[in-house]
Formats: sequence, C-alpha cells, structure tokens
Amino acid sequence: MTSKKRILIVDDSEMNRALLEDMLSDEYEILEAENGMRAVAILREHELDISLVLLDIVMPVMDGFETLAMMNKQGWISHIPVIMISAETASTYMDRAYGLGAVDYISRPFDERTVRHRVNSNVILGESRRELSLRLTEQVYEKEKDNRLMIEILSHIVEFRNGESGLHVLHVHAITELILQALMKKTDKYDLSPNDVTLICNASALHDVGKITIPSEILNKPGRLTPEEFEIMKSHTVEGAKILDDIPARGNEPLIKVAYQICRWHHERYDGRGYPDGLIGEQIPIAAQVVALADVYDALTSKRVYKPPFTPEKAVEMITNNECGVFNPLLMECLKDVAETLKKELTLLSLGNSAEKEIQKTVAHTLKTGGVADVPNRTIRLLEHERMKNKILSDITRDIIFEFSASPEIIKLSEWAADYLGMPLAILNPRESEFGKKMFKPRDFDKLLQALKNTTPEHTGVTEKFMLEIKGVKTWCKVVGGSMWSDTEPPEYEGAVCKIVDINDETEEMKILEEKANLDSRTGLLNHEAAKEQITQRMEKSNGRNYALIFFDLDNFKQANDVYGHRFGDEVLEYIADTIRKNIRSSDIAARMGGDEFIVFMGYKGNVEPLIKRIFASLTGEFKGFPIKVSMGVALHDSSITEYNTLFEMADKAAYSIKRSGKNSYRFYDDSLKNVVTDRD
Amino acid sequence: MTVKECYEIMKGDYDDVISRLRTDDRVKKFLSKVLSDPSFSQLCNALESKNIEEAFRAAHTLKGVCKNLSLTNLAYSASNLTEALRGRQDYGDDIEPLFKKVKKDYALTMACIQML
Repeated sequence: MTSKKRILIVDDSEMNRALLEDMLSDEYEILEAENGMRAVAILREHELDISLVLLDIVMPVMDGFETLAMMNKQGWISHIPVIMISAETASTYMDRAYGLGAVDYISRPFDERTVRHRVNSNVILGESRRELSLRLTEQVYEKEKDNRLMIEILSHIVEFRNGESGLHVLHVHAITELILQALMKKTDKYDLSPNDVTLICNASALHDVGKITIPSEILNKPGRLTPEEFEIMKSHTVEGAKILDDIPARGNEPLIKVAYQICRWHHERYDGRGYPDGLIGEQIPIAAQVVALADVYDALTSKRVYKPPFTPEKAVEMITNNECGVFNPLLMECLKDVAETLKKELTLLSLGNSAEKEIQKTVAHTLKTGGVADVPNRTIRLLEHERMKNKILSDITRDIIFEFSASPEIIKLSEWAADYLGMPLAILNPRESEFGKKMFKPRDFDKLLQALKNTTPEHTGVTEKFMLEIKGVKTWCKVVGGSMWSDTEPPEYEGAVCKIVDINDETEEMKILEEKANLDSRTGLLNHEAAKEQITQRMEKSNGRNYALIFFDLDNFKQANDVYGHRFGDEVLEYIADTIRKNIRSSDIAARMGGDEFIVFMGYKGNVEPLIKRIFASLTGEFKGFPIKVSMGVALHDSSITEYNTLFEMADKAAYSIKRSGKNSYRFYDDSLKNVVTDRD
Repeated sequence: MTVKECYEIMKGDYDDVISRLRTDDRVKKFLSKVLSDPSFSQLCNALESKNIEEAFRAAHTLKGVCKNLSLTNLAYSASNLTEALRGRQDYGDDIEPLFKKVKKDYALTMACIQML
C-alpha cells in the first residue's frame, strides 16, 4: 500500500532537503525540487496527490515568492498548503509569504519536533479542507444531476407520447445553453448570471410538458390539423404553464417560475403575432425567447414525418429570414455566432448516450469512495429522492409503476398504482397474489419475470405486450421494464423496475389502420372494403362471365366466444378462413366483413349449385368439438345488376331468410325475398 | 573523537544541534554531507568572477547549512558575508576580509569533520 502522503520539498541546498527528508520520510513520501521552476513542473504533474509543499525563499532560477505567485496563478494554492522554510526571519519576508497564501513559516535551523509538528498539522488541515470541498462539490453535483435527470425523464415522457426520439429535449438544452452564453458575451441587458443560464437550460426540458394534456389523436395526427384541432394543440402552452402553477406550494421555486415562462410563452413571436397571449418584443421573458428559438432550430434540423432535416446552414437562413416565426434580432445574431459550435455539439449528442454513461460512472465511483461514515445519511437521502421521483412520475403519467426484487420476490407498487389498483404497496410472493395471478395471467407473469431475468447488465430492457385485467376490465397493455444488477463481480440479478402502459387505444387504432390496409388482421382474408372494390371491378368487366356472391355467418359464434372465450372465438374464425381458402380458386375473392360474417365471390360455368353445396358442406362440421353451422345466402350476378351493394343485399337477404327459418342451410336469392328486411336495414 | 568533542574544536554548539536533530548518528550523517556541499566552492567561484548576486546566494546557502548543523562559528562568518553581499550591485573592499574569515573557518570546520 502506498498510502503515504506526498510532500514536496523545494530548496536549492541538497543538504537542507536531505535533512528535511530524514526528519519526514518515515511518515511521508518525499519529492524534491532544487528550485521553483522544478517545483512548478512537479506540481503540474502531481497536483492532486501532493499534500504539502515545504518552500525555501532564496533559490536560483525561480525563488520562493515567484513560486508562490505561480501557485496562485494556477489555483494550486487553494488546495495545497505551503510552509515557508528559510533562515530569513525578517518580518517583511514573512508578511509577503503569508500574503501570497503560505500557511506557515519554519525558520532555520530546523528543529525536528517543530518541523514534524507543523508539517503534520498542516497536512491534516489541508486534507480535511480538501475533503470538505470535495464532498460539497459532490453533493452539489448529485443534486444537480438528480434535478436534470428528473426533468429529462418527465420531458421524455412527453416526447415518447409525441412519437419523438427523446433527443429533442437534449438538443433544445444544448442549443439554449449555447445561445445564452453567446448572449451573455454580447450584452448585460438581461442581467443573466451563470446560475440563471443553468436554470433556464434545465427548465427548457419542460417546454412541451403541456402536450401531456393534448389527446393523442391530435398530437400524433399524421396530416394537417383542422382549425379546431389546432386550437386544442395550441392550448399546450397554457396547459403546461397551468400544470406548473398547480404544483402545490412550489410556486416560488426559481425553476418553476422559469419553466412557467417557457411553457406558456415559447410560441410567442417577437412581433406580437404568436400565442397564447400575443406578447410583443421584450414583454416575452428572455427564457421563453431563447427556448422558442432553440425549439424551432431543432425542429428544422431534425427529421420529422412530414419533412426531411434541413442543413444547419439552411435552418439559420430560414430563421433569420423570418420564415419560421419572428425572433429577437439580438438572439438571431447569437444563433449565427454559435452556428458552427452547434453543428458539432448536436452531432455529438446524437451519437449516443456517452454523457449519461459518464454520469453513471461518476456516481458509481462517488458511491464507492464516499467514505463509510456518511453512507447511511447519503443512502437515506438518495432513497428519499428516488421515492419522490417515482411518485411524481407515477402521478403525472398515470402509469402503473412497480419495482420487483428477485430475492425474496416482492413487488413494490408506486403509491398511485397501489391506490388505483386497490392493492397493497408491497406485495409479498407476487406469483401467488392478485397482481400475478389475476391482473396478469399467471403464465404471462412468469413469462415477464423470466424475460427480465434473461436480460444482461449491458442490455437491461424488456418490452412485452399482455392482455391484463385491470380493475376487472381486460385491456391490452405494454410492460416496459429494466433489470437491475448488483455492482459485484460478477453482477447478480437483483430485480427490475417496470411500468405498465395501457395500449388498448393504440391497439384499436392499429386495427382500423390494418383494415384500411385491405387485410383482415385476424384471418388474413381481404377486408370488406378491399373485397368490395375488387368485386366491383370484376362486375364492370364481366363480359358475360357468370359470378356468384356468397354471404354467410356462423350460427352460434356468440356461444363460442361466451363459453370458450375470445381466444377460442378467434381460432374458430381462423379455421373458417382456412376452410374457405382451401375450397376456392385463387382467382376467387374471399373476405371477412367483420365479426363472424364472410363473403365469397366466385366465377362459375353451367350449374352453380354443386359448387355452392360443396362449399357449404366443407364449412359445416365441428372444430375442436365445437359444432360449426352456417347460414348462407347466394346471389347470382347478371347484367341487370350494376352495383355491388345490390348484389350484396340480395345475398344478405337470402342468408337472413335462412337464419329466420331454422339456420344451417343455404339459399339462392329470388324475387320472393325482395321485400325482406334484414337486421342490417 | 566524539561528535561532542568535534563540535568543541570547530566552535559549534553541540547542545543546540542535538536538541534539534535528536541523535549523534543523524548529526554525523549530515556533517559528512557538508564535506560535499557545493555552496562554498560556488561562493569562491562567484566572488572570483565578481558575480555578486550568485555570491550572495552561495553565502546564504552556506550560512543555512551551517545553522542547520549548529556550526556556529562558520555560520557567523558566513552570515556576516551574506549581509555584506545582500542587495549589492558591485564588489567592494569590505568583502575581502569577510571572505577571508569564511575561508579560514571553513578550513577548520572541514578538518574537524574529516577527523570524525
């Protein structure tokens, strides 16, 4: 162990150095310099591990006072104690040395006790001063990091909902910072301190927090918004400000104040034609002005669904030409000043999460070296912080957040989730609980826990979709989680933190989209819209060919769903689709209209009845012990029928009459059915 | 010859040195270093070439070395020379006798140490 502290002895007399070394080397590791110049070189190299300097005054090349001056200039004097050693005892010498930051003065000839005592006490004093400032730095850093992290998490929630990458917040932060720094160089008109800059940059992350209140149909609408929708969209400014305003008893926090300004006024324009308040010029707080500019710049230089990214040069040009709003001319100058730096910084940011890794490393290191004595306090403080963070997150997003610890197995719900689900905060033995057996299907819960366990410390993420039963309602949910690992070697799986997001609405939306995309997602047959289009085309170009339209539905499908469950119902539909596919030619058209209703459109020659009979017979039977029966109507196309809908109604009426008269049969449409009124009508 | 006897001959202050450096061994060790200390020869060279600033520094160092080891006699003459040289621009007549005294005391001191 080389735990001996290092002392630098600076004296031109080898003899003096040897003497001091002889007195101190049992307790300290000694470095030697024969003049001030050498001393500065050594200090430059070992700045952080020199505990004390013993400095002679009269030396060639660079004397003691010059060395002290240099130590002041380099900032070393603030953390490395210097004891002057000299035969010079004139008080002017001593005054000058103290004035330059020396902490003590030992006069020659050396007395061993005096040397040891003064060196020891000054080393201890210096060390504790250093430790204190280190700890203070660390705490400030920790607080700062937590703050930023939390704000970033909050704003990423908004962005993910918004379908954005999550980089936008980081970009706006970086752009805001650069512009503000340029602004500070240019003018003191806005009276900005470095603290203000940090505050504005941190608050910038929240600029779009109000979007959380915008319905996602509007937020993520691919096309142009209607005027009404745009009005709603615009309300994200006022709503964001309101969210901040409503945070209980925090209205006076500087961060909240600045974030309020940014949220509310980042869509104002310098010419007064922005929203929501139409503020003009310097009525708009500078924080909002800068963030607005950063927001626009990043939007221009980033890819969006509706546009490719513009080059940084083009973006600056568009902004300065007032093509994307009207900004403070001074700020546009700042933007031009930092344009080159911006280009570099933003590329770096998009390259990955190196900054985040840096933070993680520092934190791990800090925790390890934090000293034993203050661990309990720190831990409690950190835990308290974590708890608060989770609570706020959970409250804001209304997502169910839970923490899973692997050994022993325990689920900890966020306060909001526990309240919402009516479950306890801590669930012991979750696999046997309501949470793991009823809310999750037991198999799904096992699958999720297994997936989390199968992750690695490098790749902790898990995303799974499950049908969950939340408060008695079955709903599609996405479970997003990350595993947690011990910092031992090798790392051990400790558990995970997960969040449950309701994606039922999304799933419904997907269905609509799929239908628009022709195919029925359940069976892989065409959907009705697509079938209708294709059938119409064939009818128009029939050229005397014969066509039949078959329409049928299942007689007892409701029972399949009710008795055997939706999953079984789905299987039945898939079985029907398969059977149809097997019994028609590839040129025929088959479609599922929705529910348990199907149509088949086929060409035929001669007598069509045997064909119909064969299809009917193939469909009738049983599937996994469940009896399959259909009511089928057939309409034959002739040149008098020009509309698909007419043909469809005929087949529908025929099927309806079967349904009314005992089911499980087929019938051709004839004029006697003309006046039948179906359920559809 | 003991260290104490040596100090008596070269007019040093044995009580002082032993109270500061604690052991005879250490005193002996550093006395032997005085033999190879370059400050005296630097002083001679500097005065020969009339380099006052350099001479001052060398004299000052020599004084320091002597004080460390309580070589009172030599320290006193080195100190007188040092003060005469301090802040001086040019050589003066007063230097010569002071330097002579230093040379004489230095010779005695070295002779004593060599006998140890």
